Amino acid sequence: MKMHTRLNLFGLAMVALAGGCSKNESPAPDTKAAASASAPTTTGAKKHKGTPEDPYVVGMSQCNLGEPWRAQMNDDVRKAAEKHPNIKVIFKDAQNDSLVQRSQLEEFVNQGVDVILISPKEAAPLTEPVAKAFHGGIPVIVLDRALLKEEYTSFIGADNVKIGREAGKWVAETLGGKGNIVELKGLMTSVPGQDRHRGFLEGLDVKAHPGIKVVFEADMQWLEPNARKEMESALARQPKVDVVYAHNDPGAHGAYLAAKQVGREKQMKFVGIDALPQEGVQYVKDGILSVTFQYPTGGTEAVDMALKVLAGETVPKKVTLATKVFTHDNAATGGQAIP
Amino acid sequence: MKLPRFVSSLLSSPVGRAVLALVGMLVLGAIFNADGAFFHWTTHRDMLRQLSVYGMLACGMTLVIITSGIDLSVSSVLAACAVGFSLMTIHMQMNPWVAIVAVLLGGTAVGAVSGVFVGRFKIQPFVVTLAAMVLLRGLAKHLSGGQKISTYIADADKTVTLPPIFERIDARVLGDNIAIVTLIFLFCVLVSAILLRHSRLGRYFYATGGNAEAARLSGVPVTRTLILAYALSGLFSAIAGVCQAAQEQQGDPETGMGYELQAIAIVVIGGTNLAGGRGGMGLTLVGALTIGYLQKILSINAVGEASRLMLTGAIIVCAVLLQRRK
Repeated sequence: MKMHTRLNLFGLAMVALAGGCSKNESPAPDTKAAASASAPTTTGAKKHKGTPEDPYVVGMSQCNLGEPWRAQMNDDVRKAAEKHPNIKVIFKDAQNDSLVQRSQLEEFVNQGVDVILISPKEAAPLTEPVAKAFHGGIPVIVLDRALLKEEYTSFIGADNVKIGREAGKWVAETLGGKGNIVELKGLMTSVPGQDRHRGFLEGLDVKAHPGIKVVFEADMQWLEPNARKEMESALARQPKVDVVYAHNDPGAHGAYLAAKQVGREKQMKFVGIDALPQEGVQYVKDGILSVTFQYPTGGTEAVDMALKVLAGETVPKKVTLATKVFTHDNAATGGQAIP
Repeated sequence: MKLPRFVSSLLSSPVGRAVLALVGMLVLGAIFNADGAFFHWTTHRDMLRQLSVYGMLACGMTLVIITSGIDLSVSSVLAACAVGFSLMTIHMQMNPWVAIVAVLLGGTAVGAVSGVFVGRFKIQPFVVTLAAMVLLRGLAKHLSGGQKISTYIADADKTVTLPPIFERIDARVLGDNIAIVTLIFLFCVLVSAILLRHSRLGRYFYATGGNAEAARLSGVPVTRTLILAYALSGLFSAIAGVCQAAQEQQGDPETGMGYELQAIAIVVIGGTNLAGGRGGMGLTLVGALTIGYLQKILSINAVGEASRLMLTGAIIVCAVLLQRRK
């Protein structure tokens, strides 16, 4: 009997909770909008004036802030936006969860932001919410990863195949047609990993240079400690390594540390990708890497585009960012652009 | 089928079974011996260095598991300590020994707090250390501002030189034959083995894990024992954090993700029972070697990520099945 009462109470509590939740759901946007100083008290998109007193509000949803590259993208957006007092950026971190990111889009819509910037985690779950916001009258600029449909204002991204190809060409030229390569792949289940691998092989063009061999390849999951372990295995097997091509700069750095421990770091060149100022570019300046190819974040470009959209200008549907190469000669002066 | 005498006597003890698994692994290494790499001394030396950080975490994990608990926070303590150590030594240019002591005290304190929640407030270890895991990962990210703490200082846009302590911990001694971090790992194993086998505290660990209520009734200070177990786990994780920072030459707030599972796998493959009350450090050492060799063999053979995960999973299952054998 006692047990039953308890169960009933529990059931009642659950019903109350569930009811409470669904009741709270509809007015929630209003509360949220009211909480934000510049947002209207009624739902629906209110347009801000774009003056320093009533700046345009830009909502930026980043898929995660775990990767330094993504922290850099937010940093670039922040720095670019600081130059313009007539816009204000709200940053949200989706913590690598597509559904969290979807709810962030809905929050931006309810809040009535003027432009949405989104660097999506995945295409499938985010295509619809982006399209909804776009058709609801809010311009959406998609960064880095593409969506399934083109229902957004513009896409800004870089081309990993091209960057890999540039790395491959650099290696082929540097080796002069003969040499042993170790390739430390990012994560081969991820698109950037696949593209950086495919592009590299294209650029390397082994058919034209039969003396060039990839003698060891391993997946390091973008992680430096893994790269170091895999490199140690490569060194144990290969008496002669001329170039280490890692899909990101931490990977190249890990490989360098492995080679350094056995005193072989001077016998080979290390090639990285990403060229973050505090990471890859710094490694090149320090003489650890021979070269790194920039995978641009597009943060600055996104802010520029947002300003154009707000000014009523038309913008291209797709912007492919050019890469830059950083070598010992040009790292100090900001690298050299590759068209 | 009648097994040869020495095999069946080996199989009758947990240590024997763990050693047998390790020997099996070595045989595999000798068979899949890519370019003769498995017979190079350097391969084994590198393997020992690579498993050291996991092994240090596993030392603390063994103590906690013997008290029938679990510590999921080890990898986050490691990351927070790596970041803290790098901040203090690289960015603040503090005396490295002061920084090491500070970080080790910090790690121990964090572990002790988890222990208080487990021992004093009787909250499940899984929950307590899960909370600590999330909280400390957040702390690591907060302290570092999400960036790696390296010789490049973002705010001032300048670089500093790497304090020599990093190279020193990552160096090798005895004619370049054994890494300092391996020695630190073996020292951790030795200390915790002596603690478990030859101290009163060690007996308390087993008693608490075997049956906490019975232990309490027979005068074991169960609460204090639990606090000490988690504090020691925090200490070992902090040591691992300093070693990790030294090996990466930076404090990465993302470092060590998933290492807690490696540590648990090492303990389990060694044959320490997750239910508590049984097991030992010798087993953990053998388990660490088994996992270390497994990863090394897969790595020198350049086995792809997918096969690697499946093989590792299969081998954990096999090892556990072997351990169950009566």
